[in-house]
Parts: sequence; structure tokens; C-alpha cells
Amino acid sequence: QIRFILLQNRQGKTRLAKYYIPLEESEKHKVEYEVHRLVVNRDPKFTNFVEFRTHKVIYRRYAGLFFSLCVDITDNELAYLESIHLFVEILDHFFSNVCELDLVFNFHKVYLILDEFILAGELQETSKKSIIDRMGELEKQD
Amino acid sequence: MGSQGGFGQSKEFLDLIKSIGEARSKSEEERIVLREIETLKARLSSPNTSKYKLKEYLIRLLYVEMLGHDASFGYIHAVKMTHDENLLLKRTGYLAVTLFLNEDHDLIILIVNTIQKDLKSDNYLVVSAALNAVCRLINEETIPAVLPQVVELLNHQKEAVRKKAVMALHRFHLKAPGSVSHLVSNFRKKLCDNDPGVMGASLCPLYDLIANDADSYKDLTVSFVSILKQVAERRLPKSYDYHQMPAPFIQIKLLKILGVLCSGDKKASEQMYTIVGEIMRKCDTASNIGNAILYECICCISSSVPNPKLLEAAANAVSNFLRSDSHNLKYLGIDALSRLIKISPEIAEQHQLAVIDCLEDPDDSLKRKTFELLYKMTKSSNVEVIVDRMIEYLINMSDSHYKTEIASRCVELAEQFAPSNQWFILTMNKVFEHAGDLVDIKVAHNLMRLIAEGFGEDDDAADTQLRSSAVESYLRIMGEPKLPSAFLQVICWVLGEYGTADGKYSASYITGKLADIAEAHSTDDTVKAYAVSALMKVYAFEIASGRAVEILPECQSLIEATLASHSTDLQQRAYELQAVLTLNAAAVKNILTTDSTHDDVEVDRDLSFLNGHVQKSLVNGARSYIPESERSGAINVKIHEERELSSGYGGLRFEAYELPKPPPLSVPQAVSDGELIPVPEQQQASSYVSDMQLPSSPLPFQPDGVSPELKLRLDGVQRKWGRPTYASPSPS
Repeated sequence: QIRFILLQNRQGKTRLAKYYIPLEESEKHKVEYEVHRLVVNRDPKFTNFVEFRTHKVIYRRYAGLFFSLCVDITDNELAYLESIHLFVEILDHFFSNVCELDLVFNFHKVYLILDEFILAGELQETSKKSIIDRMGELEKQD
Repeated sequence: MGSQGGFGQSKEFLDLIKSIGEARSKSEEERIVLREIETLKARLSSPNTSKYKLKEYLIRLLYVEMLGHDASFGYIHAVKMTHDENLLLKRTGYLAVTLFLNEDHDLIILIVNTIQKDLKSDNYLVVSAALNAVCRLINEETIPAVLPQVVELLNHQKEAVRKKAVMALHRFHLKAPGSVSHLVSNFRKKLCDNDPGVMGASLCPLYDLIANDADSYKDLTVSFVSILKQVAERRLPKSYDYHQMPAPFIQIKLLKILGVLCSGDKKASEQMYTIVGEIMRKCDTASNIGNAILYECICCISSSVPNPKLLEAAANAVSNFLRSDSHNLKYLGIDALSRLIKISPEIAEQHQLAVIDCLEDPDDSLKRKTFELLYKMTKSSNVEVIVDRMIEYLINMSDSHYKTEIASRCVELAEQFAPSNQWFILTMNKVFEHAGDLVDIKVAHNLMRLIAEGFGEDDDAADTQLRSSAVESYLRIMGEPKLPSAFLQVICWVLGEYGTADGKYSASYITGKLADIAEAHSTDDTVKAYAVSALMKVYAFEIASGRAVEILPECQSLIEATLASHSTDLQQRAYELQAVLTLNAAAVKNILTTDSTHDDVEVDRDLSFLNGHVQKSLVNGARSYIPESERSGAINVKIHEERELSSGYGGLRFEAYELPKPPPLSVPQAVSDGELIPVPEQQQASSYVSDMQLPSSPLPFQPDGVSPELKLRLDGVQRKWGRPTYASPSPS
């Protein structure tokens, strides 16, 4: 089960934060700060999985952004690493060669895409095509 | 960047984002954000803003909050926006609401109504938005309000809606398992749904249900295997392919489920041998996702009952993992190895070298995983090496949560596999030295007990030797600064019991050392207490063996200090010490026999030695004792007493204290969380209240046989016993 998803840049600014467990505001900030510290200093040769409190954080760096996923200890790490990649592929497709600024200026859309991909802490839909189609329908409403 | 200016954002918004991005320092960014907040506050509360503007303000609000500032003044606007008819505005409202609010927030109540309406809407996009919100914001209390609609939506014609409905139900199940237990058959049906997305979604709740109770779902094994086969044979639409692997995430989920279903069940496992073997062969080991599937297969195999061919395949895969250069794969390899060891320990032998390499690696996560593996691999032949490594790691570690875990692991291993008593004591000493305060206090007591009982052998000579070596090592260690408190307690105890036993050290030497400890740690009462008791024992042994007691001046001042100490425990010990000093040898021998510390202390519960006295008083006309059970009608105080005595050190009460005096009894309102189901709760509530009438102990809960009338309980209570406030019957 996924507990939260964070997109942070190297300076620690949170570009996207989605929590699937209830947390107070102050706790959220603490978490974001700790995860950032944990992830930003890690040697790229090391594993992409780190222990974090009593869970695990699976992270991957794309250009200047760190995508971090917090999951339970028992989850399949590599699978979640790949789900991060799938998410990035979807974003890439949607924004046509996505870059960090795209995500910043359209963060509300990124949230919508995320909601199609992951719901209630579990992977909801793994077909890139159907997610893109859904977003297309939503865009038409605009 | 075509998406930058389009989609209706105003220039202000773009400026905002740009300026924050370009801000040079944190304070500049804060200034900008605060200015933005002010603007938003003003505009949001003004009545003239158009709806579309409102939508944009909400988005800006979201941005502000994401940067870490509080935007709670805007929540209510988000809620209002969800009421809007226009789909776009509604969606923005829902988005804002799911990001701002938590399920415990007060504003949820306002939303529940909207959600209910929207779930019934014709427009499937509206329904989806509502379902999104449901997944995030519904908690136990509000589940019943939306449950029926969500169930209906399981049969909606749009597969996207069905999918979200399944996920929503899964979330309900996580929050309150009871609420969806009757819907299990729906989950099963969804498994057979046409759309693979829905089928994939239904795997989530099914996994949870199966994890809780595998037996009732054994019949689904066949269906899962056949689905897995279809997926592996690429019968799902192409869009589910990911890096040339067919629907890998679904495969992984299915493998997980199968692992749980087949654990310990040979018949069920047989059904999946072929398909799992197939999948393992087809996996593309070059890609990450292929390896992920492979790893999941290994997990599945290790938790079920495998056949030798599969095991071999798994072992091969593990070797490949461990040999690869990528840390990720090594990590997975170690994890898989630790799972496989449970089934076939020989595998570990082949890979010892690789494992040791991982241990040396600077990567911390890898090290931890390797330690976990080593922990499972420990046998008496390699325990020394492993534990030594662990202690080294312990010393360098800074994360106290993990330190505790490793320390307790070391202790466990040492206890189980210690090759010699000597080594055991040394190891325990080291563990205590570095992590003493983090280890459970029971471990310290265990150690003391072990030294006392001498490992269960009857060889007295070995025991005494053990103890003298313990004494020596402790005397040496004592000099070091910053020893943790638990360790000091153990040291004091051992010195007190056995310091003078072998005659090597004189009583004055030992007592001097003990006084030093107490001086050095004068703030730690427990250590002082142990030191004082140890002093007492040493003196007692002196007296018992007929030697005159010479009290060093430090000890004298220590004793005097503790006599006047604030802690009653310390005072008591000091007084006892003084009393012991005045006794003669025979009396002391009676109190503190040497070498009987491991005899069980017998507690004479019935106080039978007083029986003579009781008989005499009865004969003289005293009233005989009415057992309490007859007096009060229902309690069994003995249970309470026994519980208290057996709860170990210090008689810690684990039951809740008595509940406060009950309010004047009217209909017991909102006693439990199930407010929406008032009728059957009544009985529970009344017995809860009547529990409070009888103050001695928390009762073992008796749901049956308690009538709603409260008067019943008070029949046996005599007014003169017990606290009058509780015994007075309240009108029911």
C-alpha cells in the first residue's frame, strides 16, 4: 500500500505531494523535509530503496526532480520503482516531452493524472493508453 | 512548452509561479507568498468574483499550500465549489477538497451531501470525481452514508466508474472491515469483469481479504491461475504492455495473491507450478520490470509449497541477482535469499561470499538487509563472527530505533547459540555498554538470572568460575565513563551477590567500588538502589561468615544520604541495611542465604501461617469472614489479585483504571462509535455503566445475561462495604 507520493526538486521544494494516510500539516512538513534529506544525498550507485521510519521509500531521480514513493516494508520494491517510471512515461506522453516547468505550471493536472493512476494507495490503472484517454475526455470539458 | 499559457490561467498566476521560482532566498519567497495570500483572502471573500476566477484562485491557493503555508481560510470556498453544477468547477472543487482536507476535518459534513448527490448523477465524469473524493475523505462514520450508492455503481456501464467503485470499496474495507464484509461476492464478480482495468482493481481488495482469511478463498485459486495464464500469454489488450512485458503490475499482484493462498497448502500450490515456471522462464532479466516479476515469483515460491524444479529455478535467479552489479538487484537478491533459506538452508552456503561482500558495501540499506539475512542464517558455527559484526555495526550506528532492533537481535542470537559462557558474558557486556539503555530491561534481568542459575548445568565449579570471571570483567569495565544505567544495575547486582564469593576481593574493596558508582550516578535512583542493596548483601555475607564488618567512610556517607533521600524505595533499602548490620550471624543467614537467588520465591497466597490465629479469634466470637463473592454478587476479586501479582515487576497495572463516576443515568448516549445503530448498542451501554458501579476491578465483559435494568447489579452490595458514593443506587 502506498502511503504518500512526493515530487521534490533538488533544493527541497515540493512540486507535488499526495498523501494516502491522514497526517497533520506539521507532520507533513517534517516528512517532506526528512525524505528530501534522505534522498538528495544518496549516491546514485546505491539502491533506490531506503528505509524510512518504519516504512520504505522508493525513489528515482529524473533530471532535477526526485520522485519518492513511500510504501510498506513488505511491498515489492522493484515493482514500485517501475510504477514511478510508468507515471513518468504517462506525464511525458501527456505533456509531450515533459520538463519540470510543465509540472509546475500545470500541477493541478498532474494531480488529476495521479488520481487516475493511483487511488486509495493502490495502483488503479496500469494501462497508459486508458489513462491518457481519460485525461483527454477531461480536457475536452475545459 | 505549449501547455504554459493555455487552459485559462491568467497572467497573475503565471507571474506568481515565475516569481516564486526565481526568488533568491527563502524570505523573498515568503514575502511573495504572503502577498499572494492577502490578495487571495480579499478576492475570495468578495462577492463579485466570477466563478471562473474563483476556480483560478482555488488553484493558486493549492499552490500556496503546497509550498508549506497555511491556506485554511480558503477551505470553505473549495467546499462551496463542489456544489457547483459546472463540471469543470466541480472537479476543481473536488480536487482542492481532496488535497486540503483530511477525513477528520469538520467541513467533511458539508461535503458528504454533495458527494451523495453526485454519485447518482448521469454524467460519469461527475461520478468519477465524486468517487475520487470518496476514496480520500470518507472515514468510518460516513461510510454508511455513501455505501449503497457505491455498491450500485459497481454495475455502471462505464468501466472507469466501476474501477473507481472497486477501489472505493477497498478503501472502506481498510477503514472498517465490517462494513463491507457482505460485499465479498461483489468483489468476486468484479474479478470476472470484461475490462482488465476493473479486474486489476478488484485484485486489491481481494488481496486484503485473502490475507486475512485464506481458507474461504481457496476456490478462487483456479481462477487466479487461469487469469495469470491469460495475462502471460498476452491475451490482454496491447495497451497493458509495459516494456514488452504483458501487464506486469497485474502479474505481480496475482503472484502475491497466489503466494498467500498457497502458503502451506500443497494441493493449491500444485496448480500453479506450471504457470509460475513459465513466467520465470519468460522474464526478461535485462529490464527492471522483468526482474521485479522474477522477484515476486521467488516470493511466491518461498511462501508456498514448491517442487524441486521451481526451487532450482528460484535459486538460479537469486544467484543472478547477487552477481549483478546493480545495487538494486543485489538488494533484491539478499531479500529473496532470506526468504528461500526458510525452505532450504543449503542455498545460503553457496552464496556466502557474495553476502559478505554486500556487508562491506558502503550502502546502508544493503547492509541492513544483509544483517537481516545473517540473522536468519545464524547457527552455532558462525554465531560468534556474526554477532561480532553486528556489534561493530551497532557501535557505529546513530539511528536509535534501529539500534534497539539490532541490539535485541544480538541478544537473542547470543542466548540461543552461545558457544561458551565466557563468550556470552563478554558479548552481553559489549551490547550493554553500547546500547544498554535501549535494550529492554528484561534482558538485564535475564542476564542476572543466567549468571545466578549458571546455564542449567550442575557443574558448580564451572558456575563459580563463570561468576568470578563476570565479577572481574565488571570490575574492569566499571572504570569507563558513560555506562548506561541498565548495565550499571547488572554490575551492582553481580558485585553484590558474588563479589566476595570467591574471596579474591575484600569486602572493603567491593564496597568501595559500589560507593563510587553510587557517587558517580547520584541522579539515577535505580542505580543507587541497586548499589545500596548490593552493599547490604556484601555486609550480610561478611556477617554471616563471621567476619567483622568495617564500613568505609564513603559507604557510611552513602548510607546516611540514602536514609534521608526523597525516594521511599531508597530509604527503605537504607533502613534495611542498617537493620542487617545490627543482626547476628544466624539471623543474617536466614534472611540472605548465599546461592539461593535462583530459588523461586514462594508466595503463600492463603496466608496459611495465620490460620492458627484466625481459628482462635473465631472461637472467641469474632464474625467469620464472608467471602467477597457472596457479598457483592458478581465480582471475583481474586482474578484481579492474581492478575496483579503475575504482572511482574512493580505490579504494573495494564488494565484501565476505574472509570469515573457515571453521570446520572439516562439513556446512555453515544457510548461507542456506532451511533447510527442505536438499538442493539443499548445493552452494551448499560452493562458498561453498571460496570462502573462496582469499583474494584475491570470485569471480564459479560454481554449476555445482563438485562438492561441497572438495578440488578446492586442487590448484593452492602452499604457498609466499599465506597459509599459508588454503592448508592442511582435511579435507572
